[in-house]
Amino acid sequence: MLEYAWLIPVFPFVAFLLIALLPKRTLFWEDGAGYAIGGAAGALGLSFIVIWEVLNGNTLTTDAPRTTWLIIGQYQITFGIWIDQLAALMLLVVSVVATLVVVYSAGYMHNEGPTRRRYYAEVMLFISVMYGLVIADNYLQMFIFWELVGLCSYLLIGFWYERPTAASAAKRAFIVTRVGDIMFMTGIIILFKYVGNLDFATLFAEGGTHAVPTDMMVLATAMIFGGAIGKSAQFPLHEWLPDAMEGPTTVSALIHAATMVKAGVYLVARSYPLLVQTPESLLFVAAIGGVTALLAATCALAANDIKRVLAYSTISQLGYMILGLGAGGYLVIHANSPDGYTAATFHLMNHAFFKALLFLCAGSVIHAVGTNDMRLMGGLRKHMRITSATMLIGALAIAGVPPLSGFWSKDEVLAAVWHAGEFNVMFLVLWAMGIATAFMTAFYMFRMWFMTFSGEPRSEYHAHESPKVMTVPLMILAGLAITSGFALFIGDGFKLFMEGSIEGLVPGAGAESLGDIAVGIFSDPLTYVSLTLAVAGILLAYRMYYVPGFDRSRFARGAPGAVQRALENRWYISKFYDDLAVKVVYGLSLVADAFDRHVIDGMVNGFAYIGGRSGNVIRKAQNGNVQRYTGIIVVGICLLLVFVLYVVPWMGW
Amino acid sequence: MIPIEYWLVFSSLLFAIGAYGVLTRRNAIVVLMCIEIMLNAANINLVAFSSYHSTLHGYPDASGQVFALFSIAIAAAEVAVGLAIILSVYRRYQTIDVDKINILRW
Repeated sequence: MLEYAWLIPVFPFVAFLLIALLPKRTLFWEDGAGYAIGGAAGALGLSFIVIWEVLNGNTLTTDAPRTTWLIIGQYQITFGIWIDQLAALMLLVVSVVATLVVVYSAGYMHNEGPTRRRYYAEVMLFISVMYGLVIADNYLQMFIFWELVGLCSYLLIGFWYERPTAASAAKRAFIVTRVGDIMFMTGIIILFKYVGNLDFATLFAEGGTHAVPTDMMVLATAMIFGGAIGKSAQFPLHEWLPDAMEGPTTVSALIHAATMVKAGVYLVARSYPLLVQTPESLLFVAAIGGVTALLAATCALAANDIKRVLAYSTISQLGYMILGLGAGGYLVIHANSPDGYTAATFHLMNHAFFKALLFLCAGSVIHAVGTNDMRLMGGLRKHMRITSATMLIGALAIAGVPPLSGFWSKDEVLAAVWHAGEFNVMFLVLWAMGIATAFMTAFYMFRMWFMTFSGEPRSEYHAHESPKVMTVPLMILAGLAITSGFALFIGDGFKLFMEGSIEGLVPGAGAESLGDIAVGIFSDPLTYVSLTLAVAGILLAYRMYYVPGFDRSRFARGAPGAVQRALENRWYISKFYDDLAVKVVYGLSLVADAFDRHVIDGMVNGFAYIGGRSGNVIRKAQNGNVQRYTGIIVVGICLLLVFVLYVVPWMGW
Repeated sequence: MIPIEYWLVFSSLLFAIGAYGVLTRRNAIVVLMCIEIMLNAANINLVAFSSYHSTLHGYPDASGQVFALFSIAIAAAEVAVGLAIILSVYRRYQTIDVDKINILRW
């Protein structure tokens, strides 16, 4: 069955072609939503068959069928599929979220008119290439789809391209992620130079990369991670993601929360066999993840745009996953334990569900109120019972309240980082950053929920609950946000399942029994530290934003005020990039322009001037007097004769 | 037998006289005549070398003289064309002073 997995991207791609090419009157319901849902559901069904096969222990990796795509000299570039537990996990995330988001779009995009056709076409193209990325079996194939999801992201962020902010946000996202993509490409090129092959089967095999010198291997893995920095919006390339919220909320939920931004994490997880050979890169990965988690969480504290809070929260949670993967590599090397890897991938899955839920809830709120600004909301709970309840579930899940999904995976990640601290002290610092992030996450999530749903309305609006086509996906996702954490205890358990995709790296790691895992979680004091901090964050938000009469203006003065302004301005990082672009790059452009005008053009003009002036002088020789010409000829011949007869022999030529 | 050097000195003098005339005379007809003198200097060279070549190799070789004859024929044609041009110039400008005929310039 698994060899037919390549059909998964075909379904959405056919839907894309139909929506893009069919005559308008044959698009029927909602300008093509029917085809879109059909394509997404077809891929969902096939994905589930594949996931079922993988759950039964079948994988298709090194022996998968391949097609030759290019032959360049002695090198062959092939296309193939690579279905292991990690790919199955991504298939699950992408298929479920994509299908629900497409269904939800039918309600959310209802008022957009004929542009919906473009929307559905672009979304289906995105879903198709995202599947392609997930099942790719070599770095080049992955890179091609990697660029294609970037293109779709650009198109969909700029969906309302008439708005200048959306157009510039789209450009920004495209350019900033391109920086990461170039790094990714550099990493691939280094590997290709030494190994001559980009197939996972070759690179991940025992000793597959021993042709690469150690220092180049460190560079290659760091550069491949650079691709993840761009795509997963890690510090210092994270600023495009909050701006990407200019796109429709459905796009934010699908691309910028659940799937495309996970591609970076997926890339790091996929490259694990390479990364564990280079502890230096792993530490770099973990440090970037930890810094990003903390930095983005602080930015979320002061954001007033409901989608930007969620965007920063996404960056922060992606930082968690990257941190978990970095720490997990140390555990693989030193402790022969897959814990960090399984924890990060577990968080990847849980986060996809609850963050998609939160985004779709935010979309439902925006659909009802018509603004993104939380300062203009308030009191929506009375009007939107389903949305407020499902969003509360999402907020509890991300805050890490048991038994919701976020609790299990976040705790696992933090535990893995703590254990990696045994092998490198840096991880204890990163753990402290992670635990601080956990506290802030709980705070800003409930700040958002209280500002939106509780209290009295702060502006005139006529809110109404969203239609069924929107609320049903919310309820399904809420169900997943509650239950997906229990995957840890279903069947053989999530850990043993995910261990399968890196079993070559942790031979004989075996499995703890499920009971031991549960006991391990609840007997570890660290669990209670993070739980206490999460509850403290929620209570602080309750005190500040729910109980009336709390004077928040005192934070706007003095030193706290300076911090608050720094947070509202995103630590001035965005401004720094703008200044970099405006002052430095524009300054350099001016210099280049001046160089072009004055030096290059000056040289061209100078030669023309010299030619013109000397022509003016020399043309006097042509005075029309035949006898002067004759005289010059005679003198010239005489000189030539003297030269040939006397000078040449004298010089000995 | 007159040595070849004599002929060469003679033709060089003739050529120099012709060239001097071309460079200094104002009357276009005189200039044309001086060109004829230069051509004849060349013809004398041709004939002289032809004769010299025959004595050097011990058998008669007339190719140099044939060239001289060609040259004379072409000189005749050239004079016809040259005089016709001078005639046209005179009709147009009422002068054959080469210093005054200088409109073919920058």
